[in-house]
Amino acid sequence: MSPKDISRRKFIKNLGGGVVGAGVAIQTLSAKTRKESKPPSKSDSAVALTFTVNKKPITLLVEPESTLADVLRNDLKLTGTKVVCNHGECGACTVLLDGRAVYSCHMLALDAQGKSVTTIEGLMDGEKLHPVQEAFVEHDGLQCGFCTPGQVMAAEAILIKNPKPGKEEIIEGMSGNLCRCAAYPNILKSAVAAAEKLNKS
Amino acid sequence: MQYHKPKNISEVTELLDTFNGSAQIIAGGTDMLVETRYHQQNLKEHWIDISEIDELKQIHVIDGQISIGPAATHSDITGNDVIKQHAPLLAEACRVIGSLQIRNRGTIGGNVCNASPCADSIPALIVLDAQLVIDSAEGEQVKPISEFFIKPYKTILTPGSWLKNIRIHKMDTEDKFAFLKLGRRNALAISRMNFAVVMKISNHIIDSVRLAPGSVYPIWRRVTEAEEFLQGKKASETMFKEAGKIVADSMIKTSGRRWSTPYKEPAVANLTERVLCKAVKFDC
Repeated sequence: MSPKDISRRKFIKNLGGGVVGAGVAIQTLSAKTRKESKPPSKSDSAVALTFTVNKKPITLLVEPESTLADVLRNDLKLTGTKVVCNHGECGACTVLLDGRAVYSCHMLALDAQGKSVTTIEGLMDGEKLHPVQEAFVEHDGLQCGFCTPGQVMAAEAILIKNPKPGKEEIIEGMSGNLCRCAAYPNILKSAVAAAEKLNKS
Repeated sequence: MQYHKPKNISEVTELLDTFNGSAQIIAGGTDMLVETRYHQQNLKEHWIDISEIDELKQIHVIDGQISIGPAATHSDITGNDVIKQHAPLLAEACRVIGSLQIRNRGTIGGNVCNASPCADSIPALIVLDAQLVIDSAEGEQVKPISEFFIKPYKTILTPGSWLKNIRIHKMDTEDKFAFLKLGRRNALAISRMNFAVVMKISNHIIDSVRLAPGSVYPIWRRVTEAEEFLQGKKASETMFKEAGKIVADSMIKTSGRRWSTPYKEPAVANLTERVLCKAVKFDC
């Protein structure tokens, strides 16, 4: 293969195999260390939180000041939700709370009491990508990919509210998600394509 | 920190009374969570979350007035039929706040009580002459919004009192109105300055006009100087330009010439002109 033949997507796909492999190794390792270490101790002020995450009912003790992002990432190990600015200005931590987009870094975990949370991990059906995720892959709606889980969740939230959103509605609805690579044209294309895809199926 | 989730209005007042100064109300938390990271010293020991109390999220018409629960989110307000029909100016102001994610969490009561100079809903509530229902163990009182603010981030609320309801008059269907915000970019920007206007016009003559800017005076107020100037005049770009100059002059008179004045003086004049033009659909 000449260097010319290597497209960015092929390169990333090849790299992906490596990343998945590494991921498995890390998982085994962390399972081991977790067994050995004591469960993290919670202070007296910790409160029980019962909610649904990706359709699974979950109850755990959380510190009152923990954000939803803290609990998703640190307690539930759902690290697909990214934390970047950590104060509600970038959108990387976007998840769905009862079907509406929220910044998980910008709300107390206890505010999710009794509610249903969907993270990027909850979109996939087994190994099958969600149509919005597929659209992002097909239309190259990313560069470095760090903001992508948030972008996908924001797009999904718009489509839940209105399955046939206009371009303006998508732009307005996704304006709370920043992309430092400025992949906006393709992000927009992906969101538009996702809407078309969902309407076809 | 201790977290409390009262189930009804009387529990809120009771909790505030019990903790006597060591408690604070949280609704959407969009402002308070920023405080937890940067200004922890401002936070109190007990947090009383009112975001789940149904009664505090309702928007409806009572005795010809619109009653808005303080825990109604900005998304609730922009999507509400009563607001869209009878207070479209407020919907327009709430629509430009933060981003969809912020509007889904942030509440109108929080916007008012946090009293940040950049709050977008406040200028709209000022021109709509909102009445605020304040509750405490001593009882309920109603205050016009013009008497609610002491200085930026400081309101007349005492440790035991809280904002229970916001009431506004219905706008007339013929009212001309507009809201404009000046931010560093279009999306997800904090307002540098904002402006709300409501006008009554018949045969091109301005019968009455109410103007309120944000981040222009130390605390919010209507620009009566410009309102008086415009009243009885024919709505035109020239008049609106003049009104802009009056607003800029009044700002300098109140705050003095400061380091930001070379920017703010033309900015506020232009914003005034534009918001007035937008209200009457002039292209300027």
